[in-house]
Amino acid sequence: MSEAAETQSEIFAQMDQVPAAGSDVIAESPLSNFHWKTTGAEAGVTLSEQGLAGHLVLRSAGNSSFEAAVEKVLGMSLPGPLQSVSDDSGRVIRWTSPDEWLLTVSNSDAFSVEQQLRAEASGHYSIVNVSGGQTILMLSGDSAEMVLMKTCHYDTHESSFPVGKVVRTTFAKSGALIRRVGESEWELIIRRSFSDYLALWLQDAAGEYGLQII
Amino acid sequence: MTQPNRVQDAGRINRSRPLTFTFNGRTFQGYEGDTVASALLANGIDIVGRSFKYARPRGIVAAGAEEPNAVLQLGASEAAQIPNVRATQQELYNGLECASTNGWPTVEFDVMAYLGKIGGGMMPPGFYNKTFMSPQSLWPTYEKYIRKAAGLGRASKQKDPDTYDHLNQHCDVLVVGGGAAGLAAALAAGEAGARVILADEQAEFGGALLHSNDWINEKPASNWVAETVARLRTMDNVQLLPYSTVNGYHDHNFLTIHQRQTDHLGETAPQGLTRQRLHRVRAGWVVLATGAHERPLVYANNDVPGCMIASAVSTYIRRYGVVPGNRLVVATTNDYAYQTAIDWANTGRQVVAVVDSRPDPDGELVAAAEKAGIRVIKGSVVYDVQGSKRVKSVSVARLSTTELSLAGSETTLDCDTVATSGGWSPVVHLSCHTGSRPVWDDDVIGFVPGPANQKQLLAGGIQGHYSIAECLAEGFSAGAQAATNAGFDKPTDLTVPKVHEPSVGKAMPLFYVPHKQPMTRAPKQFVDYQNDVTAASIDVATREGFEAIEHVKRYTALGFGTDQGKLGNINGMAITAQAVNKTIPETGTTVFRPNYTPVTFGAIAGRNARELFVPERYTAMHQWHVDNGAKFEDVGEWKRPWYYPKAGESMQDSLNREVLAVRNGVGMLDASTLGKIDIQGKDAREFLGRIYTNAWAKLAVGKCRYGLMCGEDGMVFDDGVTSCLGENHFLMTTTTGGAAHVLEWLELYHQTEWPELEVFFTSVTDHWATMTIGGPDSRKLLAELCDDIDLDKDAFKFMDWRQGTVAGVPARVFRISFTGELSYEINVQANFGMHVWKKLMEHGAKYGITPYGTETMHILRAEKGFIIVGQDTDSTLHPYDLGMGWAVAQQKPFSFVGKRGMSREDPTKANRKQLVGLLTKDPQKVLPEGAQAVADPKQAIPMTMLGHVTSSYYSATLGRSIAMGTIRGGLDRMGETVYYPMLDGSVVEAEICSPVFYDPKGDRQNV
Repeated sequence: MSEAAETQSEIFAQMDQVPAAGSDVIAESPLSNFHWKTTGAEAGVTLSEQGLAGHLVLRSAGNSSFEAAVEKVLGMSLPGPLQSVSDDSGRVIRWTSPDEWLLTVSNSDAFSVEQQLRAEASGHYSIVNVSGGQTILMLSGDSAEMVLMKTCHYDTHESSFPVGKVVRTTFAKSGALIRRVGESEWELIIRRSFSDYLALWLQDAAGEYGLQII
Repeated sequence: MTQPNRVQDAGRINRSRPLTFTFNGRTFQGYEGDTVASALLANGIDIVGRSFKYARPRGIVAAGAEEPNAVLQLGASEAAQIPNVRATQQELYNGLECASTNGWPTVEFDVMAYLGKIGGGMMPPGFYNKTFMSPQSLWPTYEKYIRKAAGLGRASKQKDPDTYDHLNQHCDVLVVGGGAAGLAAALAAGEAGARVILADEQAEFGGALLHSNDWINEKPASNWVAETVARLRTMDNVQLLPYSTVNGYHDHNFLTIHQRQTDHLGETAPQGLTRQRLHRVRAGWVVLATGAHERPLVYANNDVPGCMIASAVSTYIRRYGVVPGNRLVVATTNDYAYQTAIDWANTGRQVVAVVDSRPDPDGELVAAAEKAGIRVIKGSVVYDVQGSKRVKSVSVARLSTTELSLAGSETTLDCDTVATSGGWSPVVHLSCHTGSRPVWDDDVIGFVPGPANQKQLLAGGIQGHYSIAECLAEGFSAGAQAATNAGFDKPTDLTVPKVHEPSVGKAMPLFYVPHKQPMTRAPKQFVDYQNDVTAASIDVATREGFEAIEHVKRYTALGFGTDQGKLGNINGMAITAQAVNKTIPETGTTVFRPNYTPVTFGAIAGRNARELFVPERYTAMHQWHVDNGAKFEDVGEWKRPWYYPKAGESMQDSLNREVLAVRNGVGMLDASTLGKIDIQGKDAREFLGRIYTNAWAKLAVGKCRYGLMCGEDGMVFDDGVTSCLGENHFLMTTTTGGAAHVLEWLELYHQTEWPELEVFFTSVTDHWATMTIGGPDSRKLLAELCDDIDLDKDAFKFMDWRQGTVAGVPARVFRISFTGELSYEINVQANFGMHVWKKLMEHGAKYGITPYGTETMHILRAEKGFIIVGQDTDSTLHPYDLGMGWAVAQQKPFSFVGKRGMSREDPTKANRKQLVGLLTKDPQKVLPEGAQAVADPKQAIPMTMLGHVTSSYYSATLGRSIAMGTIRGGLDRMGETVYYPMLDGSVVEAEICSPVFYDPKGDRQNV
């Protein structure tokens, strides 16, 4: 560990939260204990949980050093309001509030990315690993948008919600960070503790269109 | 089965699909396309119910949402019972069962009617209030019988078998009403490219055009409807919602639409379908094309079955092929009702006469009727009706040309049906919902919407413009305007179609038809059928001093029914105006509020029902708790294990076992639900010092500290342990229920008071799974699963935290304790929480590791006198009241939230309620929480109460009960006795003591 990094660890606690490679530790994504009821009919809605990703909340209020660090480490700029950027490896940065972004990487990369960003950045910023606290659901299909309309108030029409846009909003009686990734494909990032409730809700909302889980 | 009133070949019903239904237990037949009302009329049913107050027989009056009488109970099965169904709006389906909601024993023979007849004169407005005023205690009894007699519908007591949902919609233009104006508006806005929703309450779009005799573009009007609907269906940007009532117009152009998706198919929805849907629409612009309701005239005995509104009679004839009688008298103030006479005559049945209040009507329809040989009696009115269960005849007299009175020369005309028209009332309801008061228009002879309060345009009948040509032109114009207002280009290729319709002569303003007798002596002249409000009762109300229209409404119940007085209100205003000698505009109008027609609770609830009613939040170890038989407690939205009963154990047995396991061996608690907030920034420490009451300046990295948070008033609102993770990095914990509020509190103070402080807050509650192992064996257990933290008591002290690996998972371990025992809180990324929990259980088996729940946690902490914010505090206690002055640092250089508040006069005066321990004299007696303390149990009621019990348990550790509670001046009253009077008259005696019942020096947590 370099001296600078060591000083950093005195200032900010950093920890690789993922068990060593090859350990027998069993990881459970938030929905791993949820028992889906799917329909045999042709499904208008398809859902899949992309659990166990690395989620980092980035905070910076106009700190150019931090912005530069993001560009250098990730090769992407922090996106503007309601926007997202992604790279070929599947890393995505989503704007979530005026001084806040959500970066997703693989869980095993979360610690090294945090370290690299901290090594590059100075001034006021924060990086918080929230990988255990949320999960990603991919919602797709011809009727996916109807399910969203039953669940959240935001206008999902393509004129108001084009591909790439990100909105954090009320979702049923919980919340979600919603990103449109295709014409009929959506990414939902939801909190772990609400995930069983939201799965139950989505399963119910999708019921009339047929639901497939992959 | 014959349908005596069915006309050959007329109407839009499907005669090849007969449907069977029952009404009051009798079986009838109708056709696909019928409403329940049209099918009842086809079968010659005169009486559909009994009136609310006088139990008079009532028949169908109208053909739409304004129907006051045919309000039925629907449903063959108990679970599907639906009250308040308007027969005029319920489409017929095979097997439909419906019944009148009142009439005992039957609607044909009703006991109450005799009471109504005898008691009529003795049942003035305010009758129920005046008569059943006292004694007050008997009102519930009175009410039960009054309600039974009144005959309101009933809801099922069984579980609703159907599902309902909500759909959030957004559009550029919402068009309300699918008649001529609405279709034209939707077409224009749709052609402009706007996102359009067109909602209509009926099964078919077209409104009055569906039964119009008039021609559009050289073809019957219904052809234009079909063409237009077909064109709208091809547009991706237009959504057509039939069976959909726009029932509320709320702020910010938010409107709710109640769509009955399957009510026309059966009483329960087919498998997989949602019965009703509430569309929650955010509209850019709204076009109200809601049309108008025809107004009946107010004349004596105008409620006898057979008295209908004229346009409804036409609708039944032409749309449903039903002529609801044999001999018709039309009474009108305008030209429109002449069409009814012509339609009736065309069925081959007899039109006895048209009685027109105008001395010299001259419109084209008048001429057409006369040409068809229909007798027209001009300058005259129908002022009375004979008959009780059906009209037998009517009394007709000349109307004075100078004053509102009859001018002699009366005649009697035999007939069985009276169709009246007093003109039209624009359907201004939705406009009223926005807070706009309607304004009187002398030309329209009705109220039209007041100035628009929202992005709202009007078209057609709602403005008092009733010709098809005007409706179409205004619809096109409003639709195009709405689209351009929403940012679209004006549609180009739209031409207003050519309409052939008769010109209409001037109408006469007439509402109340005078009788030979003065109003109060005349037979009942009904204004509001549903609530049995008569012209005389309005007159009485004004004479009793209720002169403002809102008072008249409340005193007489005018407009209070489920129909909201759609038919009667305007007549009621006119009669009020006449009674107080004012004009109608001077008298004003009552307004309407949502909902336009009744909405089911199911549609309002949507999917927020049953298991989806309240979210259940689970921890990462939830499934283990379920699998191991935990009983759960709701803490906020969280499901927390409450206790883990073993076979044969009572709850207290389980608690005793769990408590002793922690005190003597090792127990484990899922503490994941505690709020956790990650705090980073160079000013984090300073910020903590300002938010917490105690000092944070010197807390070293690796250390933890307990803190109290107060509101500005100085009262405690949350507490928890915050740890210093790095010089600029802290982890705050909060109470489970307070987590969201605390984060908001921190953001509020940061954003509004101290934005200069460099600090960021991020919730990590869900990220960390937290398991607390507590008890003398907890160190040994941890050592088995953790080899990279020095667990020596001097190397890893109480209130320290360390980073390491537990069961192969990177962890932060906090040596903090809410039980007073040696205790470690192990935090791992929640994805690995279940793994670590199971490993701890596995390795803990040899120590008898015992999972424990929130109840045991409560007992253990109470033995130590640790407070639970929200249980032992209630926003009236500051830290000193809690005996926790040690947690307040008055000398901090910067103030802290609550410092000023707790130093005010009241919080510093003597004899405040303070939190103390309580030991009952009988050690086996557990005080009920909430019990009130008194100094003298013999004092007469009301007794002087000193405080109440906040926490009370049986402590297995101590073999006796313990309690905490507030006592006035309690901290200075140690050793004194207080008394708790119980509901059963007994008194529990208790001694005030320190709340620390166990290990007062704290040795056990420091081992």
